[in-house]
Amino acid sequence: MQTKGVICLLGLLLFLVPAHAATGGDFSLTDQHGKPFQLQQLRGKVVLLFFGYTSCPDVCPTELAGISRVLKLLKADAAKVQGVFVSVDPGRDSPKVLAEYVRYFDESLIGLTGSPSEIETVAKQYQVSYSKHPNPGGGYAMDHTANLYVIDPNGKLFAIVPYGFPPEHVVDVVKEILTNPAGKDL
Amino acid sequence: MSFLPVTFLMFLLSAVTLPSEAADSPVAPGYGPLEYALSEVGSYQLPALGKAGDGKVLDTTGRVRRLYDLFGKQYVLLAFIYSSCSDVNGCPLTSHVFYSIKAQMKHDPELARHLKLISLSFDPEVDTPEVMKLYANNFRYAGRAGEWQFVTTESEEKLRPILRDYHQEVQRQLTDDGKYSGAYSHVLRVFLIDPQKQIRNIYSVAFLHKDLLLNDVRTLLQQNRAAEMALAGQGRQKQSAVFSGPGDDKHGYEQLAYQTHSLALDSRRGKAADLMAYVVKPPLGLPKVPVPADNPVKEKKVQLGRKLFFDRRLSLNNTISCAMCHIPEQGFSSNELAMAVGIEGRTVRRNSPTIYNAAYAKLLFHDGREDTLEQQIWGPLLAASEMGNPSVGYVLNKIRHIAEYDGRFEAAFNGRHVSMETLGMALASYERTLVSGASAFDVWYYGNDPAALSAAAQRGFRIFTGKGNCVACHLINERYALFMDNGLHNTGIGYRESMGIRPEKERIFVAPGVSIDVDRSVIDQVGAAPPKDLGRYEITQNPHDRWKYKTPGLRNIALTAPYMHNGSLSTLQEVVDFYDQGGVPNEGLDPLIKPLHLSAQEKQDLVAFLQSLTGDNVDQLVADAFAAPVGDLKKGDPDWVRGTEVEVR
Repeated sequence: MQTKGVICLLGLLLFLVPAHAATGGDFSLTDQHGKPFQLQQLRGKVVLLFFGYTSCPDVCPTELAGISRVLKLLKADAAKVQGVFVSVDPGRDSPKVLAEYVRYFDESLIGLTGSPSEIETVAKQYQVSYSKHPNPGGGYAMDHTANLYVIDPNGKLFAIVPYGFPPEHVVDVVKEILTNPAGKDL
Repeated sequence: MSFLPVTFLMFLLSAVTLPSEAADSPVAPGYGPLEYALSEVGSYQLPALGKAGDGKVLDTTGRVRRLYDLFGKQYVLLAFIYSSCSDVNGCPLTSHVFYSIKAQMKHDPELARHLKLISLSFDPEVDTPEVMKLYANNFRYAGRAGEWQFVTTESEEKLRPILRDYHQEVQRQLTDDGKYSGAYSHVLRVFLIDPQKQIRNIYSVAFLHKDLLLNDVRTLLQQNRAAEMALAGQGRQKQSAVFSGPGDDKHGYEQLAYQTHSLALDSRRGKAADLMAYVVKPPLGLPKVPVPADNPVKEKKVQLGRKLFFDRRLSLNNTISCAMCHIPEQGFSSNELAMAVGIEGRTVRRNSPTIYNAAYAKLLFHDGREDTLEQQIWGPLLAASEMGNPSVGYVLNKIRHIAEYDGRFEAAFNGRHVSMETLGMALASYERTLVSGASAFDVWYYGNDPAALSAAAQRGFRIFTGKGNCVACHLINERYALFMDNGLHNTGIGYRESMGIRPEKERIFVAPGVSIDVDRSVIDQVGAAPPKDLGRYEITQNPHDRWKYKTPGLRNIALTAPYMHNGSLSTLQEVVDFYDQGGVPNEGLDPLIKPLHLSAQEKQDLVAFLQSLTGDNVDQLVADAFAAPVGDLKKGDPDWVRGTEVEVR
């Protein structure tokens, strides 16, 4: 019986080997103070990663407000969590614009931007899609994936939280990581 | 949730800081509280919209699974999504709504047991099982109760047939320079699928709201429970009773799971019953059988009447017997016709009433124009649209010349020959034996057995005698219950028919679980105009009697659908609904009929009570009918044409 179980497990593991590079991973960009940023800097912390742009009318403010709410709900544990906002609109989102924007939501938030190709690389890693759409009255809006990416303290992508989930839910996910730092699969 | 006010604030903020960008699509209703009141659970129908597609998918461990296997025996909400979706009112909306439903399952074990959520990606390239797993990691936080599966497919090729089956048009969005942007354009659809794999509803953005979805699921669950109970009840009856159900029992026909319990006539070999015993000692809950002084019930009369009842030669063209409209296994009525059909397909304008307990009726026919069974039998014998005989003498002459009846009348009636009187007496004697009682209700109420009646039926009885006041016309007393008042009342059914008030559409079932709502105008093109019917007025010519019809007894009512004088109500549920709404208002509406304001539960209980009125000897009476000889035209009969090549059958 026991051997059978092990063989089954091995079979399962073979299935689990991904056919392509895993979603997520480290990256380098520029933060809202104009300083270079690497995701590795945040090892030891749970990262809440979100892609958006500062001219975003609805999704991004909602999501960032959500992150800010998560940090409040976490109380003392908030120190072990870092919210990160990556702009998919580097054309408009300079570090200065980002700095203005993110502090509306939470002083601790990191805003990131970079060259269009740098952004594209990171977006690809996280399988985030985005595209530009001109507005009828001038200017443009960005369509973008609105998931929240939860990265564990080892830099491994732990969960993708779809847009619209309550902050209480994100708190649960974060607490799960903090109490189970080995990053055991669920 | 405190999240919402914050969101709202941010909306204001963004509107203030970014005035040029404010024009964007508003968020879907699914994100907020529902802004309209939903219909009561169970108060509406969700007809099947077609078969849900099957196909091979990958679960989060990468294993190949059949969609149907994932569906299992549960109700399923299936959403097509892709994880990098950027439209807030698209895939994230479904996740949001599913998440709320999943959270609800924590507090609703029945929902958790019966409903399964499945998100299927239509972007197999990006949404590998690994990515779907990252998604799925979230959902244990919404409580362990209930299941939410995340599945994808191996390749676009494997996905395509599934998308086709669900009519999901998915197109890759291209950037201005013609490259794939990573986004898809698709029309959001969520499918509600029942355990028979039938699609019961499809939700688009505007309708994708937790409350609406749950209302629909609960409606299906409730209706399925009711159907299962009905089928189970039937099953129980079937074990002891092979005969009492109709040949082709349409009960549950609106469910896809419907299977006919039809028994071939040849396989129904009945057993004669001691019919006299029922007259001598009526079943529990029934009074002494009233018998006219000049026609005491005697075995020979009963047997003669029984033979006549099943004799097709009693009709003008030798095709229709009494038993063909008062069909024994259809409650001695006709379950399949709202209004009866006579010889050559002629339409009778009223519903065949049951013969069960006709012995107790002081008024016969729906308009109460006769008062003895002996006289009543001549009505159908002579009606042009029923058995079609031209005269009394014609019928008597024919019987005189059928050899099988030689000496039968003389033996039964002390030497008297067949006559207008003796024919009526014989048929009446048989009909008088068809008394049926000792139902679950009788054993409970008159037999004082508290366990005999289900809790629902007991509650229903309290409504029957209390809030519903059905008992005002369907009388019961301390010793027996006939559920009739020998009176006539205007409920508005006749008025509605005369005034031509009819629904715009009528639901036509074309196969089990498959119905079409057909426009009235289409039906009218092919149907005959409904016959005029003024009820009791036709007998008395008194304007106050317009649209008054006899109060029928309620015993064995579960066996005698459809209901009302014109068979216009198909189920007991519909009958209860009809009285609950207070009938159809009209000048002559009986003052006893008014809106009852019963809850869905109370109505269900009332139906349960009505279903408890089925007598315990139904099976014996129907079996006895199957043992009776069927009279058919044969050589030597007056109508037999010598040399006829085609046997008249």
